[in-house]
Amino acid sequence: MTDKTILVADDETHILNVVSLKLRNAGFTVLTAQDGQEALEIALAERPDLVITDYQMPLLSGLELSRRLHAEPATSGTPVILLTARGYLLEPRDTQESGITRMLSKPFSPRHLLATVSEVLGGQPVTSATSTEQ
Amino acid sequence: MGRSKLVFCVTLAALACGTLLLVLAAVPGWGAATGGRLLALAALCCMISAIGGVAVIAALRRDCNRLTARLRETSSPLQDRTVSLPKGGFAFLQRALSELADSAERAVADAAFRAKELEVQLKVATAERHHAEAIIYSISDAVLVTDAFDELVLANDAAARAFGFELGAVGRKPLDQILHDPAMIGLIRQTRRNDGESARRVTEHTIHTNTGDRTFKVTLSGVAGSAVDPGQSHGGVVAVLHDMTREKEVAEMKNDFVSMVSHELRTPLASIKAYVEMLIDGEARDSKAQREFYDVIQNEANRLGRLIDNILSIARIESGLVRVTRQPQSLTVIVKDAIEVIAPQAKQKQIALTERLTPVFYQTSADRDMLHQAVLNLLSNAVKYTPVGGSISAEVDVDEAARKVIVRIIDTGVGIPPKDLPFVFDKFYRAEANSRMASGTGLGLSLVKHIIETVHHGRMLLESQVGKGSTFGFELDLCE
Repeated sequence: MTDKTILVADDETHILNVVSLKLRNAGFTVLTAQDGQEALEIALAERPDLVITDYQMPLLSGLELSRRLHAEPATSGTPVILLTARGYLLEPRDTQESGITRMLSKPFSPRHLLATVSEVLGGQPVTSATSTEQ
Repeated sequence: MGRSKLVFCVTLAALACGTLLLVLAAVPGWGAATGGRLLALAALCCMISAIGGVAVIAALRRDCNRLTARLRETSSPLQDRTVSLPKGGFAFLQRALSELADSAERAVADAAFRAKELEVQLKVATAERHHAEAIIYSISDAVLVTDAFDELVLANDAAARAFGFELGAVGRKPLDQILHDPAMIGLIRQTRRNDGESARRVTEHTIHTNTGDRTFKVTLSGVAGSAVDPGQSHGGVVAVLHDMTREKEVAEMKNDFVSMVSHELRTPLASIKAYVEMLIDGEARDSKAQREFYDVIQNEANRLGRLIDNILSIARIESGLVRVTRQPQSLTVIVKDAIEVIAPQAKQKQIALTERLTPVFYQTSADRDMLHQAVLNLLSNAVKYTPVGGSISAEVDVDEAARKVIVRIIDTGVGIPPKDLPFVFDKFYRAEANSRMASGTGLGLSLVKHIIETVHHGRMLLESQVGKGSTFGFELDLCE
């Protein structure tokens, strides 16, 4: 189990649910948001240890969310994982400028996402509580 | 011997005798009487020579007058150059004049021949110029031809439209008096200065107009002066501007389309893949959770299938390859089926889905699969653009008098701004204001319109109010 809190933002309910479930099963506390603005508000209020966000969302894109988070002193050090179906359209410069820590392409593997999360949160591999993964 | 020659000889003889007699009379030794006789004789000779001289001068004058009169009479001495003068006297003049006339005639004939030749050359050159101008005027690309002094020699209608000048105003005026486009003038000047003959340069140029920017591919060619203007050795420039605005828009639309379609395809695929992996990994804790996962996978697979159907259908209808199977169909049945398909999506957003349908015996001649796709697209859009907790109503009405059946999908969604209404059925068009509300390819409504209007000869209906909702619908003829 871990005491880390992760904020997941995606306007696709199915994706939001599956990512949340995978993280909860791994022992994380998970907060969810369905658009960029909501995610920003929750992040500023709750100061999660990590933000996983979709790129294309209503109101605020994933990149803009990351940019805003890093402009706020309270959340400037929060790592951000971008989960996107449009990764091929993004220039490395765009993600670097916005302070994106990692980028994963949709379709994605929840297992791989979990491994990336644990890597970003201090290099400790986190195994899912019910995972059958080797 | 003519009379004038005889008079001339007598005059000369009398003059000589008179002179001789005068000399003799002065010789000393001749007696006074002899001298006096000689003097008298000399005086006689002088008189005779004076009379003869007068006669000769009169004859010459007569000839001169006659020659002058004759020359005056003859309007064109070349046509009738024979001036008949009496033999002797000034007859040599006649020959000289005749020769002069001959050579003049030859010179004039030569000149006439050359004039004819030049006239033919001019006609050929004019025809060629008209031909070239006709070609240039008929080209849909804008063409500007300038000379070595940056004066506009030739321009076509497309150029006049592109740069907004009157075609009639062209006629060797400095370029900067006609084009109000410093960048374009700069390009032409640069080409003239820098490039040698036949050099070619291709660049892009944007013209700012009231109706928006237009982008052109400009081909600038340095040409020999004589090609632009005969008799000029310095070079000019031919600029051909190809309007790429539409091509660029289409390319951008295609790009947007590809990225949109790939996003739309990837999203349901991402869900399917993630949920399958979760099931494999045993992340679903109980059978209820497993059941939910299976439902998600099924629904997302259906969504993916619908998207692929839309893309393929629109491609087939547009390419004319579509096969239409028209049979009597009940729109009530079709709408009911579509509602069943969309219900899970509506439920997910807590949207109330109601229906008000007519008896199934009202039928229309239609392709079932296509109409199903059309109704499903309208319902799917309604779900997409209606916020959580809203409502959607599907209605089928029959107008017996007009023999029409009308389908309406009424939502309490975000609505469409009036400025976007005329374009919502355009392929790839997405109302900017609503693009954040949901993602889409901008294909769905275009396909619906194709199915209703192109394939079934019906009519689309649309009413919308921002913040209140939209009513999308269509009407079709009832079966006879």
